[in-house]
Parts: sequence; structure tokens; C-alpha cells
Amino acid sequence: MTRMTRRTLGRLAAGATVLAAAPGLSFAQGSNPLRIGYSMSLSGGLAPNGRSSLLAHKIWQEDVNARGGILGRPVELVYYDDQSSPANVPGLYTKLLDVDRVDMVTSSYATVMIAPSMPVIMQRNMCYVTLLGAGVNEAFKYDRYFNMNVTGDDIRANYAKGFLDVAAKLPTPPRTIAILAVDNEFAQKAAESARYLSKQRGLRIVYDRSYPPTTVDFTPTLRSIQSARPDLIFIGSYPPDSNGILRAASELRITAQMFGGGMIGPQIAAVQAQLGPILNNLVTWDIYSPEPTMDFPGIRAFQEKYRARAVQEQVDVLGNYLQPYAYAQMQVVEQALNRVGKLDQAALAKDMHASTFNTVVGDIRFGAHGEWAEPRNLLVQFQGIRDGDLEKYKRPGAKVILFPENLKSGEPRIPYGAPA
Amino acid sequence: MSGASLPLAPAPAMAAGGRRHLPFWLGAVGVAVLLFVALRAIGNDYGYFAGYFILQYVVLATAWNILGGYAGYVNFGAAGFMAAGAYTAIALRKATGLDLLPGIAAAASVGALLGLGTGYLTLRLRGVYFSIATLCLAVVLQTLVVNWDYVGGSRGAYIVRPREVAPFTSYGEYLFLVMLVLAVLAVGIARTVEVTRLGRGLQAIRDNERAAEAVGVPTLRLKLIATALCGALMAVAGAPLPYYSGYLNPEGAFSLAYAVNAIAMPLIGGAGTWAGPVIGAVLLGSLQQAATVTISSALNLFIVGWMLVIFVAVAPRGILGWFRKRR
Repeated sequence: MTRMTRRTLGRLAAGATVLAAAPGLSFAQGSNPLRIGYSMSLSGGLAPNGRSSLLAHKIWQEDVNARGGILGRPVELVYYDDQSSPANVPGLYTKLLDVDRVDMVTSSYATVMIAPSMPVIMQRNMCYVTLLGAGVNEAFKYDRYFNMNVTGDDIRANYAKGFLDVAAKLPTPPRTIAILAVDNEFAQKAAESARYLSKQRGLRIVYDRSYPPTTVDFTPTLRSIQSARPDLIFIGSYPPDSNGILRAASELRITAQMFGGGMIGPQIAAVQAQLGPILNNLVTWDIYSPEPTMDFPGIRAFQEKYRARAVQEQVDVLGNYLQPYAYAQMQVVEQALNRVGKLDQAALAKDMHASTFNTVVGDIRFGAHGEWAEPRNLLVQFQGIRDGDLEKYKRPGAKVILFPENLKSGEPRIPYGAPA
Repeated sequence: MSGASLPLAPAPAMAAGGRRHLPFWLGAVGVAVLLFVALRAIGNDYGYFAGYFILQYVVLATAWNILGGYAGYVNFGAAGFMAAGAYTAIALRKATGLDLLPGIAAAASVGALLGLGTGYLTLRLRGVYFSIATLCLAVVLQTLVVNWDYVGGSRGAYIVRPREVAPFTSYGEYLFLVMLVLAVLAVGIARTVEVTRLGRGLQAIRDNERAAEAVGVPTLRLKLIATALCGALMAVAGAPLPYYSGYLNPEGAFSLAYAVNAIAMPLIGGAGTWAGPVIGAVLLGSLQQAATVTISSALNLFIVGWMLVIFVAVAPRGILGWFRKRR
């Protein structure tokens, strides 16, 4: 056995130091990771979107670490399952900040999970980049809040604009509208927008009702809408009820010039597979579609990685909804940190207010209240849908963008209810 | 007899010392002060939040025990009463701008009235029928809240709490202290009920309601006092909830977890004694909180379910009952 002398040990130590400091190596051995903490809904009602968001975050983590991390430190994600229960959220963020001592915080998906974290975040003056919140900061008015959502500051004036703008350009301009929305935060805001803009444009509202989230049979409701003979039917619904409404509409053979508007559910791969041709000619709000007009730098590479792992991870197989936004959420954190060069929350907030972020969902800027300065609510239409095969949703043409004009990729097809 | 067949911890013999209130209150205040000082020495806000989580269940389980443990009337509507307290605090804040402490007082009044009303309407029902009625109450209350726009309706309500409250280091610390005081009061009230004529009357009702009535126990009056107390304490447990989370929606306020824990904790600790719910709440609450931040999944109710199964099989009278049997 060779005995290690003190000199040999010294040489080895010096060699190790040089190697660790050498450019091209990812991180110094034992370097302190930069920790980003958040709660995520990995079980419970919000789990499908939560789990796929987490996969997007992990892909970003791998990408950023392959590039050498942030500020020369490898990135570590520290997350806990909030079980889709708002009551768990304050405790989890306190643990993240006080026990785990994370360097940055981001959020879980959805307003109901973001709102309970706000008091804890505000108390510690942290910069907070959230995912798909809806008007959370209207109540808190926190100047370090930044939301990754296309709705912008004024949901009422923007959300249903696409639906009504497209309708106004139809060969026979509509005169009447029916509005139906589930009793929850987001859908009610959507319905309020449809109501407000319809009145502004002189459309007669012939039906305007809400339904409780527990509703399972929509046949009576849709019969009632049918009897009012509206030109447009605007629905604000969530995944379980979106399915029920669309199935009932199909069975009752409901037709209208445009049907949909604010339905959450048809954006999800499992729903697309399940409903198949029922989705044909449905127009609805969306945030992403793989159309040539949304071919932003990096989005294809992200989706390839995502789709390669989605089946194994048992999450949405397409990644055409909030997943790119979850990736972009972390890109915002990354770019701000790289620009500021230190973990100074005030400086980071200042940078986030002032800068443009180049993300996989395009270039974005944040407004005064932390929402996107330029809203980008998409109105998409399912076109030529004959079956539940998901391959077509990976290519352009199945979910055509009708609004906004700068992203438009096709013309509307009417009426809803017509076969493909 | 109520008809409910709850496995109860054998009541401790009423020793002369059983009515000594001063040593109990001094001991309870001493434990509370020690707990507060220890957490302050640790200086970590997470301790306050975890402590709040456990203490809210101490109050809730103790409240459930007054009606369910002493009188044998199983209340499945704990989440409803708790949400009533939370929404009372929200409504008071919106209407008058009054903060947490008046909110708790208002919640106690509303909870007591609600309990009293429920008692009048449902106490003719016994056993499983009473339990179903309390379950229905929670559904009715949730429907009311969902359709009451003033408190946010289905959208939920925001409470923008102050960042700090002097002289506390953080709002979390303040909330913890408030819940600690409420827990001491709740346990003290439960113990007072247990060792007084009221408690013995309730125990007589639990054992045989008709026989109790025949020997002169004013059953209806005692049951109404119990439902009012139970309702008030449950509502009190819920009042700080919107201040804790900053936002409350009906799904969160009427969560199944509250109803399940309110029953499971006294049963596991030992129903029918003031210490049983405390032991159950500390044990199950700590386990659930630890599960949330370690294995990090929705195993919470799974843990509660398994604990219930294990205790029903091994120690049907709860932890206290098991120890007393061994002695």
C-alpha cells in the first residue's frame, strides 16, 4: 500500500481546487445550491395540472443546471404537496422560508392556492412569481407579485373580448347571447366579462344563470338555453362540468353560431381524447396552441422533452396548456436573477417590473399590479375533429387561433354542432 | 339513551380533587406559557403555524367531545360549525372593519345560537338520525355561503391581515397565541363540564336517556346547553381561519378533513374525558403536519383512517381508556 505523504495530499488538494474552478465544469464541488421553493398540488382536485406543472419545472431545472445553474450555483427545487387544500398553504410556505430557507419562492397553480400564500410571502417581502392566478393581487396590492397568466390586469374588459370580437365579424352578426357559468372565482369573472362586453356591444342577454359546482346533469339547463334561441352561447365552466355540458349539448343537438367562450377542460389532453368529435367547432378561451403563430423560441424543445416523459410520469401527454407557462414561470426567475446578479428581493422586483422576459411562451412584460402588461387571451376553435386521437393536437390545424389578430391562424367555422 | 354506541374511555373516579379548578387552570396556563416561551426561543415562524394547526384541532375535538363524548350525540357537522365561525369573522370584518378578537367573540355567539337552534330542531332525533341531521346542517350552511355574495360566495373572500401586530414578532406568533388561549379555555370549559352536575347529567343521558329523565335529569335543557357550547367552541376554532390563510372559499372552509378529524381525534385519544381529545388532537395533528412536510402527499386522511381502524381494533376506548384498563 502506498502511503500518502503530506506533500502528495497538498498536491491533490491543489489539483482538486483547480479542477473545481475550471470553466466548463458545472459547479464547484459542494457548492451551495440555489433553492427555489413552492407548494404544488400533487394530489387532490388540482393534481392533474399540478403534477404536469411540476414536470415542466423539473425540465427547466435540468436545462438550467446543464447551462451551469444560476449565479454559478446549481438549482434545487424544494416543493411540498399542498393536497389541493388552501388551508395547508400558509404552513408550507412558512416552512419553506423559515426552516428550509429557500432563496426564492414561486407558486402552485390556481388562484385558490396562490391567495393563501400571499400573507406569508408579503410578510417576508419576497419576490413572488405565480402561475395562472386570476386577480389575486387586486386584494393584496403587493408590489413584488408577478403572475404568469394571459388575462392581464382587467379581466372584465379582456377575457371575453376575443369571443365577442370574432362573433361580431361573422357573416350574420349575432344579436342575442346566453351566459352560463359555474359558481367559482374564475368562471364568474369570465361570465362578468361576457356580460359587461355584451351590454357594451348591444347584444341582448337572453339567458344568464350560474350553477353549483356539484351539478352533474346539464340537460335541463341546456334545454332552457335552447328554448331562448341565442345566437351565441358563452359558458364559463371547469373540467368535470365542461364534459357534462358538452355531452349534453351533443345529445340535445344544440346549435348556435358560436358555443363555448370560457370553458376550462377542452385544453386538457385527456378531455380531448374522451370527447373527440364533440369538440368540433367549439370555440373557447385558451393560453397556448401549437400553431405557427405561437412557435416561440424554445417551445418545441420543451415540448419534446415534456412529451417524452409525460406518459411515464402519468401527466397530460400533450403539454399544450399550462405546462409551457410553468416552464416560463421559472424562466422569469432565472432571467431576473441573472440580470440582477444577487439574491436581493427588492432589486429582483424592480427588474421584473422593468424588463422584458424572453420565454417559451413569448416575450412578456409585467404591468404595475404584476399581471401581464399586454393581455393575450386566446380564442381557439377545434376544427376538423373526427375522433379522439391526440396526435393531431401535436400539429397545427386542430386548435386554430381566431383571436388575437397578431396570433390568428385560421378563420371561424360555424355553426357549433355541425359535423367535421 | 342516545342510541349511539360510542366506545368511551371509562370516566375517572370523581375524587375529591376532581373538582379542584385552581390547580388545573394554573397547570394549563403553565403549560401554555412554557409552550409559547419555547417556541419564541426557537424563533421560527413555522413552529407557530404548525402549533396553530394542532391547536385548532384541540379546540375542535374538545368541542365535539362535549356533545359526542359526554352526551353520546355524534355530531358530523363540525366543518359546518367551524365554517360558520370563519364566515362570521369575515362578515364582521366586511361590515364593521373589526379585527380578529371581536370576530372570535361574534363567532362564539353565532356558533352558540346555531348550536341551540340545531339542538331544538334535532334533539328529538337520536343515534344515527341525529348524526345525519348534523351532516345535513353542514350541507345547508355550505349552500347558504356559496350563494351569499357578501362574504364572497363561491368565489371566496380575501382578508388582508396586518403584517405585524405589536408587540409580537410576527402575525403568525399572534395567531398562535390567540389559538393557544382558545385551546386552554376550551379544554378548561370541557373539564368544568365534566366535573360538574352538567357533565354528570350528560353522562346519564349517554348511558340511558329515558332513565335519566325518569330520575329528574332535565335532559332537554342539558342537551341544549351542550349543543350551544359545542357549537360556540367549534365556531371559535374556525374564526381565525380566514386570518390564518388570508383567503377562504367554501370548499376550504367546509373541508371534510375538519369533520373527520373532529370525530377521530377524541375517539383515538379517549372520548368522554377532557384529556382524550387533547391527546388525540396532538397525536393526529402532529402526525398529519409531519406527513405534509415529509412524505408530502395526501396521506393525511389515510393516516387518520388507519389510526381509527387500529384503535378500534386494539384500543376501542382510545389511548386513555387503554391506559386505565391496564392499571
